[in-house]
This record gives sequence, structure tokens and C-alpha cells, in this order.
Amino acid sequence: MRLRQALIAIPLAGAVALLPSLSPSAEYASGAPDRWWGPGESRAWPQRLDYANSQGTVGVLRDGPALDTRGHAFFTALGPNGRACVTCHQPADGMSITAATARERWAATNGRDPLFAAIDGSNCPSLPQEKESSHSLLLTRGLIRVALPWPPRGDDGKAIDPEFTIEVMRDPTGCNSSPVYGLASPEPKVSVYRRPRPVSNTKYTTHQNFGVLPFIGKNGLPASRDADTGKPSAMNIMADARAPTLKAQAQDAAANHLQVASPLTADQLAQIVSFEGSLYVSQAASRTAGSLEETNGPSGLGPDAMRKGEAGVLGNNTTRWVIPMENKWKSLPRTGDAAADARADARESIQRGHDIYMFRTFWIRDSMHLNSVGLGNPTKRTCATCHGMHMTGMDTANGWMDIGTTNLPWAKEEPLNPWNSNKPEMPLFKVTCKAGVDPHPFLGRVIYTQDPGRALISGRCNDVGTIVMQQLRGMSARAPYFSNGSAQTLREVVDYYDRRYNIGYSEQEKQDLTNFLGAL
Amino acid sequence: MSKVAAFTLLFAAATQAAQPDPSLRNFVACPIVRDTASVPCWLAEYDGELYFLTLQTDVSAPVNPPWLGHRVLVEGKRSDKPRICGGIPLEPVRLSVVAEPDSSCNEIRPAEDRYNLTFEPPRPPGPSGGRLAFNTLPMPTAPVEVKKEARHYTLDYAFNGMVNFKTPFQLAPVLDMARAMPASRVEIVGYRSAALLSNGKVLQEKPDLARRRAQQVVELLKGAGLTAPQYQVRWVDASPAPNGADDYRNRRVDITLQP
Repeated sequence: MRLRQALIAIPLAGAVALLPSLSPSAEYASGAPDRWWGPGESRAWPQRLDYANSQGTVGVLRDGPALDTRGHAFFTALGPNGRACVTCHQPADGMSITAATARERWAATNGRDPLFAAIDGSNCPSLPQEKESSHSLLLTRGLIRVALPWPPRGDDGKAIDPEFTIEVMRDPTGCNSSPVYGLASPEPKVSVYRRPRPVSNTKYTTHQNFGVLPFIGKNGLPASRDADTGKPSAMNIMADARAPTLKAQAQDAAANHLQVASPLTADQLAQIVSFEGSLYVSQAASRTAGSLEETNGPSGLGPDAMRKGEAGVLGNNTTRWVIPMENKWKSLPRTGDAAADARADARESIQRGHDIYMFRTFWIRDSMHLNSVGLGNPTKRTCATCHGMHMTGMDTANGWMDIGTTNLPWAKEEPLNPWNSNKPEMPLFKVTCKAGVDPHPFLGRVIYTQDPGRALISGRCNDVGTIVMQQLRGMSARAPYFSNGSAQTLREVVDYYDRRYNIGYSEQEKQDLTNFLGAL
Repeated sequence: MSKVAAFTLLFAAATQAAQPDPSLRNFVACPIVRDTASVPCWLAEYDGELYFLTLQTDVSAPVNPPWLGHRVLVEGKRSDKPRICGGIPLEPVRLSVVAEPDSSCNEIRPAEDRYNLTFEPPRPPGPSGGRLAFNTLPMPTAPVEVKKEARHYTLDYAFNGMVNFKTPFQLAPVLDMARAMPASRVEIVGYRSAALLSNGKVLQEKPDLARRRAQQVVELLKGAGLTAPQYQVRWVDASPAPNGADDYRNRRVDITLQP
């Protein structure tokens, strides 16, 4: 019944998506509300929102009645900088925010949108805020500044004695060497720059199912716990797993991104967490493959599949797949109609991409918290080995790993040569594991990194550069990719893995895998 | 630190000891991967012979593969079973990855028809049939009925190792029982070992490791919320004379829960 109501709410988008044609992407969601949801607006959030993106349409399904945003804590500027949660969690962007949207907001507001708040919407608060260049990381990579205390503090607020020292080797934003905001400031902080995570499909990121134990499955250390219930957390919400619950994340974001002076109230938290828990996001239609949520289509695609899916179960097997497709698009008939046959081609490509994801083996090597947790180094496995959680492609719990996106030598760096005038955009840190501590097993005792990741929370050497893996749903709506926004397109993501693990994908395999990821 | 220096350090504490049991194969070597048409095999050479260590399976395997880029301490017993992937199987076998990286350990031998597995591996290289390879990792559950009596547990460690990915499944039942009793006192004793190699040399675990292991267990249990009981912690830094057969038994922490 809920789905029927939702589909009624988007008659135009749904009807067009079912047509066997290769329509321009904008047609799929031409009936959608304005893309930008600003703080303090009074709008009706329907059960279903559909927005066009370069690959088709993203669907945002709310498991609950339509919502009036007026006065709702998620949509209200709770602090002095004018931001609300929705500022960085936009439905058209899969409940994250894209670099493209940031550029649109800059153009529309001449840089005055609260999105560009000095505290974290600029490269550093010390820079002249009126200049576009002061916000380059947000405008080009969709990155928000995250300032974390150094040394790290434990859950009890006490400083942790880190296993490593950290030095600033390169500081293009100026923030890490700033006397006010940097490592040498009165309250030392490390500034890293990360993509906002989507607030959607949260039953998968907060589950209490497989792999959630009192001790972290990757290293045996105590798992973070819910302060209210005492239960261990899946530790899969944030890039560095620093907030164990949605409540804790909301408090963290209110204090650091909204600059709210005092903690959110219980009512505000309840509103935010309840709303976040009601949203299911997935690509709903493909520009080339048509609807991704037909009744007889693959059961794992579309936002309603996310609503119905079982949370916190392992999908890296042939009895419960990561993304169930039931081979529905394995071999489709051709009718002679050019448009219908092109759609069949696109659907078969998505199915082949799925099969590559599940079955195409390659040597996974030197990836901390994958090769170090019992599989051996290297291990001959597939994408689904790490991206194994049913429906989301996350790790089921404690999902931080280092695949090299922020650590050298694999992180994307600007080539330095006389023929390239571009300057490096990202900070670079030198991490040195202290004497008496085992070196990082795959990177040694000295590590260069753009973002130490989980290590900024744990203080552990072997966590340097580890990032909680991201859910793979709604990705077409929220470029760029990886925590540091280093891949502008899904094809760049595939190319990164191909290079990192020497996979040797064929061009066809790359296209198929890209199409599969774009359909999730 | 260079690999030469690391290797020297590893053996710095080595001393001559009694000749080991001839069926034992205890040595430090680079692991070798041999690819097959299905899952890769893990091998190591010692004294001119090739030994089969284990297969790639999954985290639930009783023996997990070592790491290229690191040497491995092999503690095994030569079996009479047919060779696997060209190597003589060691059964049982224990593997401890040496922490210091060694870039010379980098050999992946390509698949050859003559080295295909003669049996179905417990887990394929891609998605499984819906199970873990060995089904030995049940989710811990709180005991239903608890008698008021002391309970004893032992945590195992790799050579020179601290807690790792296997620890949660050893420690979670301790936590569950301590809460269910409830335990009034937790007694923890840490140990460290020496290992007798087949060449007669002895490897000693790091100094102070018994204390570090014991104190880490306290931190883990308290960190998991078990703060009510009194903790009684001690450690035995002197390791018994190794015999090459069951030296691993002294890489442990004993935990006793008192009601």
C-alpha cells in the first residue's frame, strides 16, 4: 500500500521511467519539486521524491507519512551559521551533497549560502571567505573540513597516547599549520577533508546483527557502545567510526557543523533520528536501462527494495546475494525495436556488472583490516568479499579498511612536473609509528597520508588511512566518490580499483561494472 | 628498519638448545603463494623441502594464511599425507606472522595443472554457498543458567602477538558469563613463550609481553563495560624451556571468573 501511494505521488517520473526509450535524464524527474531544500523552509516532504541525475533518477522513499518541514529539527537552522542538517543532506544528492550542487549554490547565492560557512565549508576559516578559491575543496570535490583533536580522546574524554607522531608535510589550505586552527594551536587539531555521508538506509548502518560484537572483529578491541543502551555499535556510520549512534552523530554534527552552542534536546534528536531512519535511497531509473523497480525486475534494485531488505546480514554468498538480481537481466529477448533493444543491452550490461562484482576474482593485497583479518595477504577474492553486506555492499560491521585512497603511494596526487601548473589540493601528513610499536604491516614505520582516517580516533598505527566503507546505494546522485572526493565519476572509481589491485579489467568489464554501480 | 636488521633482531635472543623432535618442522621463512584453478595454496620452504601450510579459506578457518611482505614462524609436524600443491602437509600447524615487514617475501607461483587441488576447497575464491568455511564462529549468546562456581578461560596468541581478529570470539563468552554470574572478581594471568626451532635455536617472545597481554585483557573487558568486578592481574615473564612440540601453549592469558 505504501509503495502504491508513493508511486501515485510521482506519476510523471514513474510513467516515463517505464517507457522503453532512451530519454534524456531530465525527463525522468521533470515533475520533482525544487532540487534545493533550504533550512527554515515550509515544504511538504512526500513519501516519494525523485530527482534526475546524470545516470537517470534517484528515488528517495520515506517509510512514513508526508512530512511538513516547518519547525522540524532536521530542516531548521539550529545554530548561528544558518545551516540545518538538510543543508548537506539533500534528497536530489542521495541525502549527501555533491560538488555540482555546491557550485550551483555558489552561483545562486554569490557564495553566501550557509553551506559555505567558514567553519567547515571553506578550506580554512582563516581564509578570505568571499573568495571562491577559499572554498575550492567543497566546490571541486564536495569536501567538508573535519577538525579532530590531537591527541585523540577516548569515549571518556581523556586523551589517548597515540602510537604515532604526526607532522604536517603539505598544507595547501593553511589550516593544519594555522596558529589558531592547526596542530600547534592552543587546542591542537588535525584538519582533514571528507565527503558528507548520506543519511539514508540507516537501518543497514546501525543494525545489531551479524558481526556486531562487544569486541571489534578486525582487531579485538572494545567496540563503541550506545550510551543509552550499552549495546555495542556496528561502528559503520561515519568515515572514522567516531560516533556509535545516529544520536551521537547528530550531536557531533550540530556542534561542529551547525555550531550549536549547547547539546541538542531530546526532542530535536528524536525528530532527526526518526526522520533519518525513515529514508530509503537508491537509483530508481537508469537513463539507458529504464526503470530499476519494475515488479518483475531484479528484487535488489530501487528504493523500495532497500525498505524491504534485511539489515545486517552477509550477502557474499550464493544463497543471499549482496544485491539480489536473480539473473533477471541475464539474457533478454530482442524485438527489433531499436529503443527496446538498446534498453535490453543496458540491462544486460548491469547484470554482467553484477556478475563481475560477485565472481571476478583478483588479488587483494596490502589492504589493512582485510588482508590482516584471516584471509591472508594476498587473497584471491572478489569485490563482494569486502563489499559484502546484503543490500548496501558495506562491511557488515566495523567497516574501516585501507584501500589506499588516502595513503601514499596509492592516493590520487597531483603530478609535479614543469608541464603541470596545478598545485596539490589536499594536505599531506607524515605519520611515524613510535619505537616499541609494531610498524604498519603493509606500509612500514613511516606513512604519508592525506587523511589518517580511523587512526585520528584510535591513535593506532595500523589504522592510518583506514576509512569506513561507504554504502553503494544512490551513488549516481552523489559524486564525487571516496572519502576525499578523489574520483569524480563511477568510472574513475572502477579505474582506481583496476590500478590499485592490478586487476586488468577489460574495457567491457569496466563499462559493465560502472553501469552496475550506477544502477544501485 | 632494514630486513637484515629485522632478521638479526629476531634471532638476537636465540640460544642453542636440545635437538628437536625429528618429525617437527619449526622454522622461520618467507611464505609462498601458489595459485590454482580455484583457491591459492600457502607453502614454505625449509631445509630444501617444500611444505604445505594452508589454503585460502575465510576468517573462520582454524589456520589462517600468512602474509607476503612478512616472514612467518611455522610450527608444524610433518604428515604422511599426499602432497598438496606440491608441498608436504604440516599437521597440525601454527603460523605466526613476523611483525617487521620483509619485502623479499614476495613470491606468487602461477597455477599449473599438476598442482590443482584434488579436493573441493572449503570455500571458493568468490561467494560461498551461504556459509563460512568452517562454521566455528557462532555468535556468542549469554548463558541461560549460571552456577555459582569459578569459570576458567584461555586466550591464545600468535608468537609475539596481542589480541587480533580471533579474539572477539574467545573473549565475548567471557564477558557474557561475567555478566550472567555476575562475577565479583576477574583473575587474569599473562604468559609469554619461547619457541624451539628445528635447527635447535630458540626464539623468545618480546620482553614484557606477559604483562602487556594481561593488562590489555583488563582494558578490553573494562572497555566493554565490565567495570563492576575487582580485577586481579599478574603475569609470568619467565617462559618455560621450549620443547618444539607445544610451545604455543605458553602464549596465552588465563582468565578466571569468580562469582
